[in-house]
Amino acid sequence: MMNTKEPIIEFRDVTFYYPISETPALQNINLKIYEGEYVAILGLNGAGKTTLQLCLNGVIPNMIMGELTGDVFIKGLNTRDYPTRELAKIVGMVFDNPEFQLTQTSVAEEVALGLENLGTSPHDMEEIIGEVLQTVGLSGLKDRSPFELSGGQQQRLAIASALAMHPEIFVMDEPTSNVDPVGKEEIIAVAAKLNQEKHMTVILAEHEVEVVAQYADHVIVIDKGKIILDGTPQQVFNQIDVLAKCGLRTPQVTEFFNQINQSKKLGIKELPIKIDEAESLMLNQFEKK
Amino acid sequence: MRGAVLPISMVPGNSVVHKIAPLPKLLWAVGVLIISFSTRNPAILGAMIVLGLFLASISNIWSSFLKVMGILFPIMVIAIFLQSIAPAFPQPWTPIAQLGPFTIYQEGIYSGLTLFERTFSMTIFAMVFIMTTHPSDLFVSLEKIGMPYVINFILTVTLQLIPILQREFATVLSAQKSRGMKGTGFGAVLPSMVPVFVGAIERVQQMSISLESRAFGSTGKKTSYRNVVMGVKDYVIMVVGLLASAVTLYWILVDKSLDWSRTMHFSPTLSVILVITAALIFVTFIVISVSKIIKT
Repeated sequence: MMNTKEPIIEFRDVTFYYPISETPALQNINLKIYEGEYVAILGLNGAGKTTLQLCLNGVIPNMIMGELTGDVFIKGLNTRDYPTRELAKIVGMVFDNPEFQLTQTSVAEEVALGLENLGTSPHDMEEIIGEVLQTVGLSGLKDRSPFELSGGQQQRLAIASALAMHPEIFVMDEPTSNVDPVGKEEIIAVAAKLNQEKHMTVILAEHEVEVVAQYADHVIVIDKGKIILDGTPQQVFNQIDVLAKCGLRTPQVTEFFNQINQSKKLGIKELPIKIDEAESLMLNQFEKK
Repeated sequence: MRGAVLPISMVPGNSVVHKIAPLPKLLWAVGVLIISFSTRNPAILGAMIVLGLFLASISNIWSSFLKVMGILFPIMVIAIFLQSIAPAFPQPWTPIAQLGPFTIYQEGIYSGLTLFERTFSMTIFAMVFIMTTHPSDLFVSLEKIGMPYVINFILTVTLQLIPILQREFATVLSAQKSRGMKGTGFGAVLPSMVPVFVGAIERVQQMSISLESRAFGSTGKKTSYRNVVMGVKDYVIMVVGLLASAVTLYWILVDKSLDWSRTMHFSPTLSVILVITAALIFVTFIVISVSKIIKT
């Protein structure tokens, strides 16, 4: 990891209680995320993934009341001092329920809303709208009402609306929960493409460990508001027992190799997490025999 | 239930009326509104109805227009029946016919007819306006003449929320039905209020968070994606509308002979037929809507 640079996102001893709640939603979070990383946050429902993400653009503590201790810095800005609408110029966020994010009468206007707020000229707007709708695969639906779209299309639209603002940090909360399997891969891949080509920092809360293993280069596991694991996918997914305690599983290839590793005593130190890694390791083992 | 839309909303089209900018159309609709409230002359009101129906017919909105009118017309028509037996008119009243226990008055027929014409002409123009104007275009135009952006935005979001709430009601109602609760009538709607409105509050909170996340209300210049350009044609239509309204209004105020309430006479048979027809239309409407409610 590029530890020499300043982190683009930093959490310092962050603890957060929702109003009336006795148990903390986040507890002693210390976290550094660097520019250009593709970060996946893993955890069960209610583990604190969404709460953590809401801290990233200042919705916590500016819009959701509650008790926050510690500080969150985005590009060096303390989120306590900047309202969400200003941080929105840096952080683009897609929430898990797409329908609640849509307000306009047509798809094009929905995408335009953020651009209008940024003061983009109408000519550039037209271009950006065409571009992002192409990216998410909604090109032909420009004039449709957002409320006539299917759940998956609405989610793509919400993503397009956030992407249009060209954020430096792009946060998605379970973006694939409404999307069909093919669309799921597509959306994650779009984020990966933006991450590689535009150097956009992507932060993704996700259930699908296979997808995470494929694309992420930084994995954070949280359980009951605490960070349990924080490292590369390789490091995190090798901790099978710790993950199981949090109610999470590892990618199936990792699990498979873990089982034969133990039963056949192969002595593999680093379990593979991707199919291609597994393939080469398997071929290796065959050659040895 | 996806795609449920308001019965009164824009009908996309390419007609002459669609192509007029929102403001001139709004001006005409408001002009008709003012005139219809300023006069009781059946001829002027009738002329506006004819003009309104003509505009509706050239803007290709007929099917949606008739659907809405099918609901509004019976409600407007009942004015004829109610007014004829109890005119909102200074005494003395001239009785012209007897319909069972009801006495029909000359002034009542006049009053009922003009009241009906008044609401009818206003409604036609309002419908033509709404059905040929994209709400966003209207809001952009209003913003240009000084309506605050926030108020415009509230209007846009409200327009969006109504169909969503309709849909949510339907979902809650079917959930109640599937649990063996009553699924129709007022008794079913009442318990579904709580989940729908709690849901609505939650939705609005989520919406405000997501709007702020898209820099809504941030400092700096704001631009607008939609743009409405007023052409020469639009200005001409606007000026003509303004002049026509002003001249008609002046004429109504000056010319006292336009009040035909004592000079216009209705034959007893015609009056009875008119009143019975109005009452029948209204009763049929009630029967049809009640039977619809019971069926669903």
